[in-house]
Amino acid sequence: MSADIPLQPVTPPTLGAAFAGWLRKRAGVLIVFALLFLLWEYAVWIFGVKEYLLPPPSKVWVEFMKRSNTVMQGAIVTTQEIVGGYLLAVLVSIPLALAVARSRFIEESVYPVVVFLQIIPKIAIAPLFIIWLGFGFTPKLLIVFLLCFFPIVVSSVAGFKSVDPEVMDFAHTTGASGWRMFVKIRLPQALPEIFTGLKVGAALSATAAVVAEFVAADRGLGYLLQQYNGQLETPMVFAIIVLLSLIGLAVYYLVELVERLVIPWHVSQRPAGVTGI
Amino acid sequence: MTAARLSEVPRAGAAAQAAAPARAPIEIAGVSQVFRRVGQVTHALDRVDLNVAGSEFIAIVGPSGCGKSTLLKIIAGLIQRSSGSVRIAGQEVQGPYTNLGIVFQSPVLLDWRNVLDNVLVQLELRGIDPRGYQARALELLGKVGLSEFKDRMPRELSGGMRQRAAIVRALIHDPPLLMMDEPFGALDALTREQMRIDLEKLWLDRRQTALFITHGISEAVALADRVVVMTPRPGRIDRIIPIDLPRPRHKDVLASRRFTEYCDQITECFMRHGVIRY
Repeated sequence: MSADIPLQPVTPPTLGAAFAGWLRKRAGVLIVFALLFLLWEYAVWIFGVKEYLLPPPSKVWVEFMKRSNTVMQGAIVTTQEIVGGYLLAVLVSIPLALAVARSRFIEESVYPVVVFLQIIPKIAIAPLFIIWLGFGFTPKLLIVFLLCFFPIVVSSVAGFKSVDPEVMDFAHTTGASGWRMFVKIRLPQALPEIFTGLKVGAALSATAAVVAEFVAADRGLGYLLQQYNGQLETPMVFAIIVLLSLIGLAVYYLVELVERLVIPWHVSQRPAGVTGI
Repeated sequence: MTAARLSEVPRAGAAAQAAAPARAPIEIAGVSQVFRRVGQVTHALDRVDLNVAGSEFIAIVGPSGCGKSTLLKIIAGLIQRSSGSVRIAGQEVQGPYTNLGIVFQSPVLLDWRNVLDNVLVQLELRGIDPRGYQARALELLGKVGLSEFKDRMPRELSGGMRQRAAIVRALIHDPPLLMMDEPFGALDALTREQMRIDLEKLWLDRRQTALFITHGISEAVALADRVVVMTPRPGRIDRIIPIDLPRPRHKDVLASRRFTEYCDQITECFMRHGVIRY
């Protein structure tokens, strides 16, 4: 009876299919990366660039393999700081955002303070944390937490507040309790924006950990980076930069994977390629 | 997501619901609405009186901005009225009235639920186990031609299909009162025609008390037992025209002389108020 034409169907993404699709879509990017590495390798060789200035990728790989144990131990430390600080930020900021969105009092009293504290350059606080908490794991965790926290709070507040008034009108006609309304409507509707914040936070987390280790540390990739830099072991510096990028990328994509699983109805709606790689 | 699990449950809930009488008379007396915004006072509604009998279909027509949507929201208890009284089934409306189904101009479906789950959310929000309503939901979806689309997400549907799902959602719990705020306003003329026919069929099944807001004159005449014509702001009831036409109102009824006369009467009301000029 209906003359309406349905729009194109959306297939639910499975992991295998998603990976195959990714490979097909990103073939161009991967080829460009490969070409860049080749160019780098031969340019260094042809122009005779000194190794401590710009080592060829092959040399970076060889040096990395020689000291992979040390580096991987550092990587584990740094990854722990990243994941721990990030999870702490998630656990604190989403409930806080909910409180801000639901209570006028908290929005007017606590939220401005949070925003104000955010203006303080977090990296400048790092040395203080060292004074207070020493060299260990905790100050790094806190710095990662601080950097990830704010983008998650801000976008979650926006998410919890952006409820379609007509949807709420409909919900009110059902007499639903506040809790049921939250579970069935407010939370799912807020999730896309919450994930925006979660991804921004994830992208910041690796930077935060390295900066924290720069300030004061006796282990971790940031510490190793400074060591190798001081000894002009440039191939190792490159190796660690690459490794750090990979960790950051992995954290980011893990969050994006969770996003795909939690809100497939939103992810499939988004134009492809917005997220970069 | 819950669809597969729900399918083996029999239609116990729906059968129990069918026995309930679909009657909710409405008494509106002296309802006025004044909006105050920074130094500006807008009179949206001016002393509206209207009595609606149980299982009567009332269409309210009026120019844009005459306060007809405001009136509907006041009756549903979604807006606090400035003065006057609204009673539904003998009870004064204070706060959102819940024994109703409501359809807005936009479908207001939840993006993260498929069509069937969007219908069943009506029950979930009411704390009713939706499993007993599975069969009734499928039956209603079938009546509006959405059977094959029950597993689709809202974004995969056309505007008309989404609005059909919204109508099914408003009817799934068999409310004694159905409120519609320009439900076909965003649809193209052909879809609109079909939706009107389908709506009449659905309404004739249960004869809920129905309030239908529109700015389509012929749509109002085609659907209603009585058409309430409103004046431009501040919204006042200009005339109430009983429509004495047989149902269902098929195309020969709509082509009849009397149908045209009813439409003319409404047009003349609007001409008197300068809403329509020749």
